[in-house]
Amino acid sequence: MELLFYLFSAVMILFGLGVVVSRNPVTSALCLVMSFVGLACLFIQLDAFFIGIIQILVYAGAVMVLFLFIIMLLDLKAEEGRQINYLALAGGLILCLVFVVQLGSVLTSFEAGDVGKTPQQPEMTTDKNPEGLSELAMERMAEKKLPDVHLVGWTLFTKYNFPLQVVAVLLLVSTIGVVLLSKRKLT
Amino acid sequence: MMPAYYLEAAVVILGLVLMVMEAFVEKADKSLIAKMGIVGLLVVLVSLFFVSGPAEGDDAPIWSFYAVDPMALFYKGFALVTTILVLIMSLDYRSVLQHYMGADQEKPGAGIGEFHYLPLFTCAGLMWMASAKDIVSIFVALELVTISFYVLVAFMRRNVGSLEAGVKYLILGALSTGFFVYGLTWLFGLSGETELSKIAAALGNDDSAMVRYPKALLFSLAMILVGLGFKIAAVPFQIWVPDVYQGAPTPITAFLSVGSKAAGFVVGYRIMEPFFANHVAPQLVTLILAISGATILLGNLAAVAQENFKRLLAYSSISHAGFLLLALGCSSSTTSPVNVEGVMALYLGGYLAMTLVAFHVMCLVRAQLGSEDLSAYKGLSKRSPFLAGVLLVAMISLAGVPFTAGFIGKMYVFLMALQSRYFVIIALAVVGVGAGFYYYLKVVRAMYWDDAADDQSVQISTLSKVAMLTMVALIVILGIYPTPILNLFAA
Repeated sequence: MELLFYLFSAVMILFGLGVVVSRNPVTSALCLVMSFVGLACLFIQLDAFFIGIIQILVYAGAVMVLFLFIIMLLDLKAEEGRQINYLALAGGLILCLVFVVQLGSVLTSFEAGDVGKTPQQPEMTTDKNPEGLSELAMERMAEKKLPDVHLVGWTLFTKYNFPLQVVAVLLLVSTIGVVLLSKRKLT
Repeated sequence: MMPAYYLEAAVVILGLVLMVMEAFVEKADKSLIAKMGIVGLLVVLVSLFFVSGPAEGDDAPIWSFYAVDPMALFYKGFALVTTILVLIMSLDYRSVLQHYMGADQEKPGAGIGEFHYLPLFTCAGLMWMASAKDIVSIFVALELVTISFYVLVAFMRRNVGSLEAGVKYLILGALSTGFFVYGLTWLFGLSGETELSKIAAALGNDDSAMVRYPKALLFSLAMILVGLGFKIAAVPFQIWVPDVYQGAPTPITAFLSVGSKAAGFVVGYRIMEPFFANHVAPQLVTLILAISGATILLGNLAAVAQENFKRLLAYSSISHAGFLLLALGCSSSTTSPVNVEGVMALYLGGYLAMTLVAFHVMCLVRAQLGSEDLSAYKGLSKRSPFLAGVLLVAMISLAGVPFTAGFIGKMYVFLMALQSRYFVIIALAVVGVGAGFYYYLKVVRAMYWDDAADDQSVQISTLSKVAMLTMVALIVILGIYPTPILNLFAA
């Protein structure tokens, strides 16, 4: 399992680099798809099956297809080879190096195997029926299966209802913004 | 008494009503939308005094995300006042907007309606930020504010400057959000909690990973500081500020420099507060003080050379972020009867009044004289004695002349820093204030001592006059009698 973690992490990082380095927008977009697939695999390894599948369906599927459509519609060409600003490049590399060293020193300060307190997970018992959770989900949990679509939906619409409403306003604002900024002629 | 979250709901519903009205009422005068927004927000502002927190035994999930304390209520009022003034400014700025909207010849007002109701959604986001006490609600509220600003900054879509500002703000904003979220995930990973009060409680437990791994905790806090540093325009994350401030429509620049900054400080204070009384406090304070010193120095010294009034105020806004950070840095050591929340609120309250007056004058001058350069302000006292008068008060308050809000705010910050014995930063701050006197009074000199190129006068609507006079009164009253705000936060 640990091997799989490193494998998928490597996939994510390599294709992530590909997104940045590639000069052709279509290649970049496809690299991003592969990076999302790696991320989805990591989620699945963490038993977050629903999030993993959504990652592929929504991000790798819908969002990336949209990206590709835009790239095609705008007929973007591969970026012209431009003058490299060596000073900026050196500055960026130094910053990255400092960041990596810092992260490395933080990570090595952890004792091996010490995971600390992990975030709370919903109780997997049927003794107490959490308010509003469906019968079907309760049955699944009794069978020691993880009904995570139910659990995600339930958590989202009960405990996290407030942030969800804020996100709704956010999406409304971005929709208005996109129409406003991209419409050819305002009427 | 009603639950406090009705306020944001009212603001969002007001925004939705105005949006639908704009879309379906064909012939409506667009300025009507702004005026209705102003009236609606005034009603919400009044109802701010009639709200309550959770009743005894009320454990609805929202109360774990949403704080109702003096700080939350103060900054909700702050957001409302800012938005009302931004809407008044946007009325004065309409001619400039219209010119750059690229609207149909037959419908010259197209797109202006959006400019009048989008700030309402931003306002709701700012109010949610003032109350946010959970990592999740902090993040979604912050994103609502940031994304609506992306739209508003690039609003003049046929103006190269505005578009450039929009792209810069979008890219750097996204980058800073990345840092911010990365820091928050580390904090969540170490504590296992998203609610700030539970994180603070876990700090007292020696078994918590936050206590056992101070390095990781500091890393997380540093990332959060980087993310917030972009929002509040602190050095070295200030590079976007001059260009974005200059390119954005002026009312939005005012909104950015007041609303966004205040909300950033509230969130920063809420996240950092538990850590100031903790084992990581010395390093955290050193970090904040270093950023603060650099911000004060760079903001003030770079402002000296500016010939564009908007860029000058951009650098001035950076320097004020430095003073506020200095106040934040005193959190762990100050012993005076006034506390850091009170001083920050006082400073930001004064900052709101003087900055908004300055930007309001700038809106009027830009719309009627067509320029934002300092040279356009030459002889303003002859063109409009009223405008020159209010700008004079705003400028001397920004510089920190006694009996103004700017002076009182700076004085309390200096007092706290003296108590905490941060002598190096104080020396830097004195240099900053000295430079400030030079460049703020440069504007005053242009208005009163230089002659205007022509004798065109500047017209001011009654609404704008009332708004500016209210703010000037606020500057003077806070400068003489700051006790109400300080008492609000007294323990």
